[in-house]
Amino acid sequence: MKKKRPKLRQWRRSSQIFCFILFLFLFIKTDYSGTNDLPYAVNILFRIDPFLAVSASLATKTLVLLMWPALIFIGLAFFLGRFFCGWVCPMGALLDSCHKFIPHAREGIVSRFHTLKYYLLGFLLISAFLGLPAAGYFDPFSILVRGLAISVYPALNVIATSFFTFTYQQMPEWVNMMTEPVYTLLKASILPFRQNFFELAFISLFILLTVFLLELLERRFFCRNVCPVGAFYAIISRFSIMRGKGGSKCGKCSNCMTVCRMGAIDGERNISPLECNLCMDCVDICPGSKISFGFQQKDIAKPSFGISRRTFIGTLALGTLLPFFLNTRTMAKRPDPYLIRPPGALPEDDFLGRCVRCGECMKVCIGNGLQPTFLAAGLEGMFSPRLNARTGYCEYNCTLCGQVCPTGALTELTLVQKHAAKIGNVFFDKNRCLPYAKGIPCIVCEEHCPTAEKAIQFREAEVLNNTGEKVWVKQPHLIDERCVGCGICETKCPLPGQSAVRLTSAGENRNPENALPAQAMPY
Amino acid sequence: MDRRDFLKQVMLWSAGITTAIPGFRIVPELLAAEKQPPLVSHAQGKDYHKLVAQVLEPLGGIGNFVKTDDNVVIKPNIAWDRNPAQAANTHPQVVKAVVELCLDAGAKKVMVFDRTCNEERRCYVNSGIQETMAAIKDSRLQFYHPDSRKFVPVNIERGKAVSKLEIYKDALEADTYINVPVAKHHSLSRLTLGLKNSMGVLGGNRGQMHHNLGQKLADLATVIRPKLTVIDATRILLRNGPQGGNIDDVKVLDTIIASADPVACDAFATTLFDLKPEEISSTVAAYKLGLGEMDLARMQIIKAG
Repeated sequence: MKKKRPKLRQWRRSSQIFCFILFLFLFIKTDYSGTNDLPYAVNILFRIDPFLAVSASLATKTLVLLMWPALIFIGLAFFLGRFFCGWVCPMGALLDSCHKFIPHAREGIVSRFHTLKYYLLGFLLISAFLGLPAAGYFDPFSILVRGLAISVYPALNVIATSFFTFTYQQMPEWVNMMTEPVYTLLKASILPFRQNFFELAFISLFILLTVFLLELLERRFFCRNVCPVGAFYAIISRFSIMRGKGGSKCGKCSNCMTVCRMGAIDGERNISPLECNLCMDCVDICPGSKISFGFQQKDIAKPSFGISRRTFIGTLALGTLLPFFLNTRTMAKRPDPYLIRPPGALPEDDFLGRCVRCGECMKVCIGNGLQPTFLAAGLEGMFSPRLNARTGYCEYNCTLCGQVCPTGALTELTLVQKHAAKIGNVFFDKNRCLPYAKGIPCIVCEEHCPTAEKAIQFREAEVLNNTGEKVWVKQPHLIDERCVGCGICETKCPLPGQSAVRLTSAGENRNPENALPAQAMPY
Repeated sequence: MDRRDFLKQVMLWSAGITTAIPGFRIVPELLAAEKQPPLVSHAQGKDYHKLVAQVLEPLGGIGNFVKTDDNVVIKPNIAWDRNPAQAANTHPQVVKAVVELCLDAGAKKVMVFDRTCNEERRCYVNSGIQETMAAIKDSRLQFYHPDSRKFVPVNIERGKAVSKLEIYKDALEADTYINVPVAKHHSLSRLTLGLKNSMGVLGGNRGQMHHNLGQKLADLATVIRPKLTVIDATRILLRNGPQGGNIDDVKVLDTIIASADPVACDAFATTLFDLKPEEISSTVAAYKLGLGEMDLARMQIIKAG
């Protein structure tokens, strides 16, 4: 009798669970924690991503040193192949855990689309190099974190708050005795501190859901066919030392092919290291124990990628040409004036090149000021962060967004640098502002203006109010040099609807073409 | 109608049993009880912690305001993301001293909170108040962020400029509401003192309070009436209020003022800024509503210690 060995896949599953819990922990910790410095490397998931590292480096034509942890995983892939996809990736773990709940697709059939990911990777990298940064649309972590941060997590809070508001208001005291401590505990642990609101919440959710819906076609469809990180690892895995050896002369059983979540095993029971994510299901399931993984399997031929040279060159050509079309749009001539980038943002081209659309800055923004851009920065700028000052503002003494940015698209600023970083300038709408338009006193903007010497000042003026009386009111005006563009005045303006003070990108430090008259060099 | 009926209405509303919005009419008879010249006590000293007990002495000590098993709400100003030296928030030592006195007086529960203007957690931390509250190891002290579910709409029946406000439930229901503002400059109301500090118990869009602010603050004071006001003037903000940020705008006075009369307390504090009580519209409006005295000559002003 053979001794019962611990199942390898249980090790793999433990690793997935551990990594996923770590991921969730860091996700929840992407928040203000009582000090302005984040105690954890909450952005580590993005910094170990070799695809994003290469893409950001190509886009900015510099080595993005912040992404050095990616080197570790590139190194590991030379030994272990695509183990990351099977053992570490939180998206993979989620897909695996949902497998039971998604109607079973055909399993184990070598995918017809598995070459797609290589074309996509080639396209994304070359277009990033030439000025069309689209990595964030396909990177699994960007899709996942963005979907969670912008949509799922705020929705979770809506659900919890609705439920506990109902019990608080409608249930008898003895029910509250039980529910209120639960709510307090949830708020202290997993729920966000406050309800955040986001633009593009639905689109982010749909993109995330699509990855799950694709499971209907094939198990791990996204990982097999689309994932550019997977493609990156697949290329390295061609040279990896550890590989699986399939059973030869093992009869008619095709259990391994059926069970393989990546479609890595072909009819001859060859295990392709390009696809295999070392989940170890086949080792455990093989009735004859013929499948093994090991380091000394030189007799296994290096597999080909199976891509068509003509299509690949065509894809690269497309990736080369498309970026040039971007400069035909009006925004190349004059950027959207309401596109306010967070403090520390690089000049627009470098910023978009580095930004991986992960949503970390929006998650961490304690003023709920940062929002995903829709089309204001072009199709390729979707989901990049912008300050929407009507619904949230940039907290004057906070530098969290620069700390979480994994690629340095937002520079990490010291508080002194932050206070000097002008991201925009506000303008008063005298047709709406109460002291100008109605003769009604109101100083809410000035009261909230956070600079030590307030950027918003008053001039006393005598105006006619609505009933035709002459009244003295304080009318606000702006000292441009002091305004940092935090937008708190626009957020707090008590007028309904549109604010009487509006933040624009005028005067932002990062773009000299946006200089205000006061900032411009004298002729 | 009296306060007991009002509290019953608040309870019924927040339990969802009735949809009728609670209303509170403070009647002249209730106010008449306080018609003798109000006592305003002030004290000066470097040890802010001791100073609080000292300033309360002429008023009969904390025991005059907090009875055994009272639920006490202490409302400091924690509105801004500023540190104690910048004088935008109540000094943490002053808050701590008031809390400890209430606990010693046998309060059942002492609740401390503010609805902030900047990000809530940053204000609590950087004001220094979170740290001092955490240092008080007593389970009767509750220092928390307001819960959005607990704002109750209240009809302000005597209100002249505002007829309905959303007010925090704990502040409405407290046996003793102690107002602990910081005295500072404000560009619209000129100064922010006790009456202005009570805005921190309001929910909803507080920006709209600023149109006819003085009257609205007085209207609010008809419902939220502190048993005790302790004005922190240990250091006062002279310019760029209410949040300041520049240490040059701060003047250290090492002074605390206390009174059972919220209007008299504000009126006296006004003199620290070389202003007259008549220049502060909320003081005048509250005086006209009969909520307290503003004539310095008709107060009994005592320097304690």
